[in-house]
Amino acid sequence: MSNVNNKEVLLRVEDLCQYFKSGSYENKAVDKVSFDIKKGEVFGLVGESGCGKTTTGRSIIKIYDITSGSIYFKNQRICAGTRSYRDAIKALKAEEKKAETTAERKAEIQNEIRKNYEEIKKAKFDHLNSDKEYAKTLMQEVIDEYKPKLEAAANDSEKLAALKKEYKDKLRVAKNTKLVTKIQMIFQDPIASLNPRMTVREIISEGLVINGIKDQKYIDEKVYEILEMVGLVREHAGRYPHEFSGGQRQRIGIARAVIMNPELLIADEPISALDVSIQAQVINLLNELRDKLGLTIMFIAHDLSVVKYFSDRIGVMYFGKLVELADSDELFAHPLHPYTRSLLSAIPLPDPKSEKKRTRITYNSLAAHDYSVDKPSLREISPGHFVYCNDAEEQKYKKEVE
Amino acid sequence: MDKILEVKNLKISFRTQGGTVKAVRDISFDLERGKTLAIVGESGSGKSVTSKAVLGILAGNSITEGGEIIYDGRDLLKIDEEEMCTIRGNRISMIFQDPLSSLNPIVKIGQQITEAMLLKNRGNRKSARKAFNSTLALLKNNMIEAIGADKKSEIDAMCQTFDKFNIEGIKLENSYNNSVSEAEGLVSEIEDLIFMTSKKQKVDVKARLGEIYAGVKMVKDPFMLRGFAEKFSTAANEVKAKAALYTPAKKNEPAKELPLELVTALESLKAVTNEMLAATKPNFFRIGYYKLKNPSFDLTSKSVEELNAMTLDYLNEDFMFKFIDMEKKGIKNSFDKALEKKKALMPKLYEAAEFYKKGEFDKTSADKVATETASLVEASIDRLELNKDSVAYTFRTTLLTAIEKYFVAIKKNPQEEARFERQTKKRDALIARGKHVEWKVVPKSIYDLDELKKEIANVADRMISRYEAYIAAAESVDFENRGIEMIDYFKAKASEVVYKITKRMAKEKAINLMEEVGIPDPRIRYYQYPFEFSGGMRQRIVIAIALAADPDILICDEPTTALDVTIQAQILELINNLKRERNLSVIFITHDLGVVANMADDIAVMYAGKIVEYGSADDVFYDPRHPYTWALLASMPDLDTKEKLDAIPGTPPNMIYPPVGDAFADRNKYAMQIDFEQQPPKFKISDTHWAATWLLHPDAPKVEPPRIVTDRIERMTKKAGGEN
Repeated sequence: MSNVNNKEVLLRVEDLCQYFKSGSYENKAVDKVSFDIKKGEVFGLVGESGCGKTTTGRSIIKIYDITSGSIYFKNQRICAGTRSYRDAIKALKAEEKKAETTAERKAEIQNEIRKNYEEIKKAKFDHLNSDKEYAKTLMQEVIDEYKPKLEAAANDSEKLAALKKEYKDKLRVAKNTKLVTKIQMIFQDPIASLNPRMTVREIISEGLVINGIKDQKYIDEKVYEILEMVGLVREHAGRYPHEFSGGQRQRIGIARAVIMNPELLIADEPISALDVSIQAQVINLLNELRDKLGLTIMFIAHDLSVVKYFSDRIGVMYFGKLVELADSDELFAHPLHPYTRSLLSAIPLPDPKSEKKRTRITYNSLAAHDYSVDKPSLREISPGHFVYCNDAEEQKYKKEVE
Repeated sequence: MDKILEVKNLKISFRTQGGTVKAVRDISFDLERGKTLAIVGESGSGKSVTSKAVLGILAGNSITEGGEIIYDGRDLLKIDEEEMCTIRGNRISMIFQDPLSSLNPIVKIGQQITEAMLLKNRGNRKSARKAFNSTLALLKNNMIEAIGADKKSEIDAMCQTFDKFNIEGIKLENSYNNSVSEAEGLVSEIEDLIFMTSKKQKVDVKARLGEIYAGVKMVKDPFMLRGFAEKFSTAANEVKAKAALYTPAKKNEPAKELPLELVTALESLKAVTNEMLAATKPNFFRIGYYKLKNPSFDLTSKSVEELNAMTLDYLNEDFMFKFIDMEKKGIKNSFDKALEKKKALMPKLYEAAEFYKKGEFDKTSADKVATETASLVEASIDRLELNKDSVAYTFRTTLLTAIEKYFVAIKKNPQEEARFERQTKKRDALIARGKHVEWKVVPKSIYDLDELKKEIANVADRMISRYEAYIAAAESVDFENRGIEMIDYFKAKASEVVYKITKRMAKEKAINLMEEVGIPDPRIRYYQYPFEFSGGMRQRIVIAIALAADPDILICDEPTTALDVTIQAQILELINNLKRERNLSVIFITHDLGVVANMADDIAVMYAGKIVEYGSADDVFYDPRHPYTWALLASMPDLDTKEKLDAIPGTPPNMIYPPVGDAFADRNKYAMQIDFEQQPPKFKISDTHWAATWLLHPDAPKVEPPRIVTDRIERMTKKAGGEN
């Protein structure tokens, strides 16, 4: 859609793993997923239900504590897991105990173990204190800005008092600002995600209030502004969610996310629960907001025609793994991974004649790949086009691209 | 074409606190056997209400204001709950929108799938027995009448034999079929085990082998095992012997590769089973008779071809020719009797039609004529006819309802007028006093009395034209054919009587179904509770339950809305396959036109309780005419869409106060003045295609559909042209 010239990376996900324990069995919902989201683009994430796309979105916004890997937002590590380091330590310790390990190697191992422990410490600190670190830098900025001003107004007591009040307010806001609030999420189900006992005004302004803004007038103005931005009217502020239709409720959800001035919006299937006609309204709205506010959007959906229409780049997930990542046009023109092909062959189109001819390609991961010896990883086949494959497949795909 | 379901002038509304919501306003459509009708529209357009009315599960506050839903010669809106129970879920089944609320949270999935099978099976057997007996008794009486009372004892004996050997044959066939399905299961079980272990997956090899042993035990039909019994049991024993060579893997570790000997043993067992499956199937209808007459004869000693030929001759010579001959006489007798009565009835019918056309009647006299003619019509129905004539069967209820409606309208109209006048006066008075009045006066809903009166006469006219056609075609009735049809009917009923589902069979069937709808590890999943499944998985379970009872008509209420594309495609393919295999008729309700393109033969676009456009799939996609259809098509992107989407502005109208004119006018950028004042009639475009919009009126200005739609149609035709 819009051309993304800006190559600044806003969000970087590295080897993200999210495991859930159920009894003795560990469910690998997301397994070693890595991708970048560049500033200003729409990044689409598709896959069947249960493949971990929603979990990925929720991990990014810190709803879960991730198991392993790191997530960097604006070059600040906001999430970090420790599992990979622990595994490394375990392996090293096992090696140390072996009889054939030389004394030299043992010292090396000790060193490595120490390093890993340090990494764990760092990861834990980053995971807990990313917001504080970010707030610190913000506070420093405010202090730097007001110090000269305060000094200049030292003689004028009236002006000084006003400035001091302003300064204190700003400092408080800066102190309470959380980096993570720059990432906001729109949830799938517009009915379940709004508190039925709060008015629309309360729902939308909740984020502001939590972040320490107490000026009721300012909050009201802001709420009205946002309401009008998402295509509702001022009068709606006093109503309750149940008084709205599905599309309007989703607009409230969007307003709630947008009021925090986010830089990254995670839209988790925002239109799946809506009627076709309303879907178009919401997509158009998201497009408008993106142009107006310069938002970066991570768009999670399973409706491929909508994702194609809306996204600049698309990642395809299958059972917790990112199997293919490419520009949306490139992905639809030259799908390489067999799962992507099967996914694309399943899209229904409003065209009876071609529909009757369409044959679906089935995908069976066991039959399609042989990963017993040659282990797969995400590799770049052509510029910007990544596929999860092993050496043999990489050769095959490269030939296909040529 | 063969219409399986007819919906005529259906009107449904709901009482709510705010007023009466008119959910469905006068819609009619036919569903043909083996076809799919898609109903497309926004939420609140009344599409789900229509389907629920067909199943008789409307909410308690609903009012059925009028119309008919005719299935199998019965009006589903007027039959009692007990009768409805035999149809609902059994003949007409439904896949619901919300998988969460349609599953029982405290019952295991397997039990929920098999529950319907087991229950319906019991009911089916009872009702099939009843139908079988009553039809046979009717046939017997007619045969006696036709041939003469002196041969009564002979006819009695023959009918009894027919009944007995029919059931006997089906019993044998059932046992054979069970063994066939078990053998098929065995083959897939073996294949799966070999595949999974070769790929080093986590499988419980011991349990899988146990399943295979159990499968072997279940393949026990003598006809199936004929000539293979020894081979089969040695192969099975070989597998058992070699299984000891396998050392099981540790818990939570992938299975080890099977020893080569075990694989060969399994392969040979598979080969033997496949051979057994490939053998010719004996004709059990004939064998049943042979066995009845010669119970001590060992049927398995001969080859299938010999057996088939021998028993055919025996059956024909000894019984069938004679029986068919007598049966034909019986059917003809019944037909002639009914024809006589119909001919005698015609003057009465003309009289009644004349009486209603004149229109000088009060309620009692109209009712009296109606009941009298209706009794005569009912007496003139040929009960041995298998294709039930819906016009004749529903004549009484249709006529009485039409009369009732007319007299209610006579009573209601003045009341409505008075209310309207009273409220207008009140409003005018308030305005005159200079007050701000927010409310509007609800417009008058006056029944057209002439129209209603005409409808009464129309019912009689329809009956007359039907019977005239019937009498005219009486000469050309093929009794030979009808005799064979009758025997097929008996066979089908007998198979329903005998078809007993055991719990084990139900489980196997359920697991197959679960596999078919794409649930991995069905054998483990079978014992889980609904909360252990994700949304998509739950929806698949609901579909499996709906399919379990083998219905005639399947109503799918947004079955794939909550699912992702691959599963959606799988489910749609599944429904399409079932439709083809079982000659199923499907009503497919959705708001996604993309889904419909592959599924539907006909499409009805609904808006605000009315069908606004109706046509075949090609008509609606390549030549849409109603602005609402345009809007629906324009608001969804496809893979080539780049421009801004045309969203439909606003929301659907409040159906407590339905708009006077075209309901879509408010949101329609092509709306004309007349759209706000008057409802558009149906404008016919071709034989299969009509739309209700004033734009099709000859005086209307020519309007082009939105760019996004025309572009797409152009692209599609180009693509289709390029491919041909």
